[in-house]
Amino acid sequence: MNDSGGIHDAWKRRIRSKFAVVLAGVTLLGVVSVGAAGAGSAGATSSSRVNKHQAVVNLTWWTMWSGTTLTLLNKMVTAFNATHPGIHVTETNIPSDATTSTAKLLSTIAAGDPPDVFTEWWPEIGSFAADGDLVNMNQFLTGTYAGFEAYEYPVAVQAGTYQGGLYAVPMSLNSWALYYNKSLLTEFGIKHLPKTLAQLDADQAKMWTFSGKKIVTMGFYPDTDGNGFQFYTTFFGATNCITAAGKYDFASCPGAVAEMKWIASFDKYPYAQVMALQTALGEVAGGQTDIWTNGKSGFELSGPWVGAQNVPTSNPDLEGHFGVIAFPGIVGGPSTLGQGNFNIIPKGSAHPAEAFEFISWLAGYNNESFVGSIDPLGGWVPAGPSVTKTAPYQKWLKANSWLSGFLPEMTSKYTQAPVLTPTQAQLFTAENTATADVLQKIMTPMQALNYIDTQANASS
Amino acid sequence: MQAFTRETTMPPASVPNATPRRRRQRSPQRRAIRFGLLFISPWIIGFLLFFAYPFFATIYYGFTNFNGVGAAHWIGFGNYVSLFHDPLFKTSLFNTFYYTAIELPLSTVAALSLALLLNMNVKGRAVYRTIFYIPSIVPLVAGCMIFVWLFNPATGIVNDLLTDVHLPSPDWFFSVAWSKPSFILLGLWGLGQPMVIYLAGLQGVPKEMYEAAALDGAGPWQRLRSITLPMISPVIFFNIILQLVLCISYFTQVQVIEANDIGGPGTSTWFYVQYLYEQAFVYLKLGYSSAMAFFLFVISALIMVVLFRSSARWVYYANE
Repeated sequence: MNDSGGIHDAWKRRIRSKFAVVLAGVTLLGVVSVGAAGAGSAGATSSSRVNKHQAVVNLTWWTMWSGTTLTLLNKMVTAFNATHPGIHVTETNIPSDATTSTAKLLSTIAAGDPPDVFTEWWPEIGSFAADGDLVNMNQFLTGTYAGFEAYEYPVAVQAGTYQGGLYAVPMSLNSWALYYNKSLLTEFGIKHLPKTLAQLDADQAKMWTFSGKKIVTMGFYPDTDGNGFQFYTTFFGATNCITAAGKYDFASCPGAVAEMKWIASFDKYPYAQVMALQTALGEVAGGQTDIWTNGKSGFELSGPWVGAQNVPTSNPDLEGHFGVIAFPGIVGGPSTLGQGNFNIIPKGSAHPAEAFEFISWLAGYNNESFVGSIDPLGGWVPAGPSVTKTAPYQKWLKANSWLSGFLPEMTSKYTQAPVLTPTQAQLFTAENTATADVLQKIMTPMQALNYIDTQANASS
Repeated sequence: MQAFTRETTMPPASVPNATPRRRRQRSPQRRAIRFGLLFISPWIIGFLLFFAYPFFATIYYGFTNFNGVGAAHWIGFGNYVSLFHDPLFKTSLFNTFYYTAIELPLSTVAALSLALLLNMNVKGRAVYRTIFYIPSIVPLVAGCMIFVWLFNPATGIVNDLLTDVHLPSPDWFFSVAWSKPSFILLGLWGLGQPMVIYLAGLQGVPKEMYEAAALDGAGPWQRLRSITLPMISPVIFFNIILQLVLCISYFTQVQVIEANDIGGPGTSTWFYVQYLYEQAFVYLKLGYSSAMAFFLFVISALIMVVLFRSSARWVYYANE
């Protein structure tokens, strides 16, 4: 009897506990159902909102900038959204360098949820295009956009094209020219601006002064402000030393040999001291500054942002005391390197057609006047020549005569952009290493060129 | 036959509660195991997701030409063959071993020496301990930036001081010859962490042993050699393992200080993990970098095996 009573109690307990579990389950189900109903009604509300604005397409745009440039980008987004009721762009700033942002972009592509538009600094575009990570924009070059490529500077199209497909469109371009410091030139008795490379070499040599080991003033150095071999290739006709088989071959390229020998001629100056000074003034100080901007160098190869942003911010005393001329190369005329801030459409973008509409608008296509007012603020060269003819851009040019040193080269037949290849990032790293090694006498010019070829042609 | 078997295997009528009793006996154990697993499940899931899976995925991707997106194509030992034809791979391996071979013994001796000094009964001992420990709590990147400032050959105070006392002023991080020694110096600056561990170890050595040794006529050097070092040898071993891992995976400091000239000057600061990072996230050669990572794992594992084997000869555990 006791036993049966025990069994009975056990059953009771078991039934009670099962009842508790069932009750808990039902309660949970109820909560979930209520939540789901709430979500459903929220979804209905949201969907009714979508219905009201059925035509609105939401685009996401990832950029890497901060500070002044980010403010400009926000202005552009606001203007675009105001003039395109069917598209709403949300700009997201990814505070990172090119490397980490590339990793982030690839992660989103792999996850199937990439941004619609991504701003990329160029070296990775060939690799992305080769791997099928980007949308080929050729499909959009019809109808209203049939004249888009003709609108851009030829070098802009060249820089964004991979094996015949347009994969990247710059919203602005970089142009490279020779800055000079009028006060320093006067101080060292240089009365005429250099028109040839030999004159530049001779003039700059007069301007190096030291206090003990430390540099007080310098003339010119080919590896400041992050410049290196790649930035001078266009002045030596060595931008695209590529064989028919698609392999880099700088070692057999006369222009590249001449360029590397010219770079090597600066090995008499103290590399470590130049770099230390550059670091002290630039990265460590936390400012957008460099040796030239600080008034310690006679000449420097750089872009319009130095005069437009860096000088007013870091050394306003230099304003009105500098000028810009085309870099005196050996190719027979003015030239510059085609480079810029490129927008790409990642594979998997939800709205590629609208993304292209936005990208072309940013580039100034059928939007010249607005871009003509923005580009000067960023110190940018427009993606298309017609922008430079707009009233705001002309006004800027008139107010800053030094800017005229940047534009003629854009249409020069000698101006080149590097052909996009899958190993462009390796090429640029190798070019920088080779430049530094030549300047430190670690490599001879020919060893350096062979090193570049080996590294840039390496694939795995 | 089936019915017979069933009948014979049925529990006898006199023990009707046999099965429930067995259940009652097992259920607390099972419940304990279930609860135990439940409680450690966050760790298990984390381990499987963030350690086990990446580890095996790395081994797999090392045999492919994976670029981060899309399918990974099997290329067998292609990446490993390429590794041994890559001059920068060899350079980065050499630089890492150079750094480890000098930094590890130097930091061990320096941290132990400091701990011995700070273990002495001197006035203001707590202040000295704090001073030597402070660099360890400075964020790594901030410490690097301070070093760049101090050792900048163009504007830094270190070279100014050296010049004032008529000593040569090297180009530190900007020179091929001095870049690695500069990083070693930076490593020594932050040895507060191992120093504190040694200090804790030293304070665990019984005072009676020193007193007995002193009575037997042992001098300070003999006491250090015969009592202190053997007694704290497990702590030394632990610190060596810890420092070794840090040296082999040296990355942040180089990435911060040589940001303008990655791997430079020349190739003097290409460290293994930095080169691996460059291959993975700059060139998007994730297959190649996975092979590099696995290769590093194998090398590290071999070093660890050698260290652990050798520890039987020189590490003294009092309870063994």
